[in-house]
Amino acid sequence: MQIEQLFGRQILSEQLSVASSWQSQLIRRPAMMVTDQWVICQRCGQRTVKQTVRLPQGDYYCPHCFQLGRVTASQWLWSLPEPNQFAVRTDSPLDWTGELTAAQKACSRQIDEVFTAGKTHLLWAVTGAGKTEMLFYGIEQALKKGLRIGIASPRIDVCLELAPRFQAAFTSIPQVVLYGEMKRPYHYCQLTICTTHQLLRFYHAFDILVVDEVDAFPFAADPGLNYAAEQAKKEAGALLYLTATPSKALLRQEKQKQLTVSYLPARYHGYPLPEIKLKLTSRWRQSLAKQRLPSVVKATLKKMVTQKRRFLLFVPRVSDLTRLQAIIQLQFSALKTATVHAGDVNRHEKVQQMRDGVLDCLITTTILERGVTFADIDVIVLGADDAVFSTAALVQIAGRAGRKAEFPEGLVAFFAEGQTRAIKEARRQIKFVNRKARQTGLLRGDTHD
Amino acid sequence: MTECLLCHRPLLPQLTLWQVLNFQPVEDELLCQTCVGQLEPIPVDQACTGCGRLCAKKYCSDCLRWQTPPNFKNRALFRYNDILKQYISQYKFYGDYRLKNVFQTQIKREVERFDADLVIPIPVNPATLQQRGFNQVAGLLEKVETTDGLATRELVKRQPQSEKNRQQRLQTEQPFVINLASEKFNKKRVLIVDDIYTTGRTIRHAATLLQNAGASEVMGLTLAHG
Repeated sequence: MQIEQLFGRQILSEQLSVASSWQSQLIRRPAMMVTDQWVICQRCGQRTVKQTVRLPQGDYYCPHCFQLGRVTASQWLWSLPEPNQFAVRTDSPLDWTGELTAAQKACSRQIDEVFTAGKTHLLWAVTGAGKTEMLFYGIEQALKKGLRIGIASPRIDVCLELAPRFQAAFTSIPQVVLYGEMKRPYHYCQLTICTTHQLLRFYHAFDILVVDEVDAFPFAADPGLNYAAEQAKKEAGALLYLTATPSKALLRQEKQKQLTVSYLPARYHGYPLPEIKLKLTSRWRQSLAKQRLPSVVKATLKKMVTQKRRFLLFVPRVSDLTRLQAIIQLQFSALKTATVHAGDVNRHEKVQQMRDGVLDCLITTTILERGVTFADIDVIVLGADDAVFSTAALVQIAGRAGRKAEFPEGLVAFFAEGQTRAIKEARRQIKFVNRKARQTGLLRGDTHD
Repeated sequence: MTECLLCHRPLLPQLTLWQVLNFQPVEDELLCQTCVGQLEPIPVDQACTGCGRLCAKKYCSDCLRWQTPPNFKNRALFRYNDILKQYISQYKFYGDYRLKNVFQTQIKREVERFDADLVIPIPVNPATLQQRGFNQVAGLLEKVETTDGLATRELVKRQPQSEKNRQQRLQTEQPFVINLASEKFNKKRVLIVDDIYTTGRTIRHAATLLQNAGASEVMGLTLAHG
């Protein structure tokens, strides 16, 4: 095994041998802690009632993280301390030449302070605030010092969108992208972009770890991934969470003084977030079953088609996708449509086609709620009152519209049988941040040019 | 709160009126209704007599062409579809031993219908057993009294069956040896149990051995066919 493969990683094995010069530095930890009643996995931190995961010959295993290779109590986790074998440099590795707004600059300086101090921090910035660009300054400083940096997200799509942007911003810095189905093997790099699941393979590796879209599934629902983030960074390392829609649990940590928060309520282009228009429609699924669109939906689509607007159409379930597509094709035969969901093997191609303007309409589940940017689109949600659409999901979906400075506006229409708490809360949040942005003078006046 | 072992969605057990009224202990549900709904059971009266696959005729075309040993009959509980593939992969290849419990009651009921003298699980070789930590077939049969009548010939498997194509599978040589004295099998009705019936090569090798050892009848039961 190449010795660099072990720097800041944790390898699961019964035995491991390295060149004798490294042997003394090798860290060996038991893969599980066994107590009277529990076993606690040292890779994902989750505990399990011992009796439920006992193997016939008396060993125990972790039922939470077996997808990355099963951890058993008879194994060890092996690693080498991260040595930061990267050049310290005086010239800037940053090739990005864009300009930050004053508000972005303030956040960006704050991020740099967090990185330097090794703190845990939450950057709460609205959808389309330009979060990635705000990271560049802090990361540039860290790279110059030879620090190791990890950028993680619960969503593969987000990782795949971030990777080329970081590659373009730091062309001279080698980066590695890690996710479940990747074909290229792991190699040691100063900049790692990965899914939060992949963090389970790291141990005290990163001086700086950024977790983007921290409230997204599965990170928010999986305590093992929180643990993974804490373990993947060095003990004195910085941890930065990014999101437009922090969960209550995350905000509670601010009150408990476990993290600090900075807040940016305006988009980088200085236009307000498009507000949600709610339209009531009754029994839309029954209409679809009869090969019809509810009349309000049909009227809205007709208007968009005549105005040549391209749009994302969100539905609650995978089973709604093809049915809706068939009806839309029937009614608007010239429209070029496609459907996507989490299990769709051609998902990335279809998203790219939408980006390239080949498609007029992409019908999707919540899989595209975040992390994707299309220029000049409208957004429609059919069945917004369904339980799959949480407040965070709805705010993120609404945040797909008007993201580009050249096209800062877009229609956001929700169709529902009634107003749910999630819809109400999403509308309130968007109005709230717009008001806040206006009060703090972050919007470009009230008349749009 | 418990969750479905396969899809991790929260489990909301729904009691039937019968379960409420008869005061018997309720068996814990391990899979959600969505996952259970995707299982495709093979009814006995719609199955091939030879291999147990879903088939309108008495024997499928495979069994008409090739039957060794000739009077071996296999029963399969489910088609090997996507959900069962996911189950087998998580149970056997990822090693999630909790999944052994999912089909135990059903398998016990099925085994009882055969009324066999001996129930013999297909063994795994010692190297796999060491690495996996369990024999997946023995796990399925935990609620049944079994006999370790077979052992593997090799200590280490050269190539897993799941990596071979049909021709290579059919050419596999006898992988088993008898693990007990022959007289134990004499005039006995024996039921061999395995996880998946694919070409039938594995279970039929086992059946041949047991017939040669003197068993009066050898039958097969597998969780899946496909």
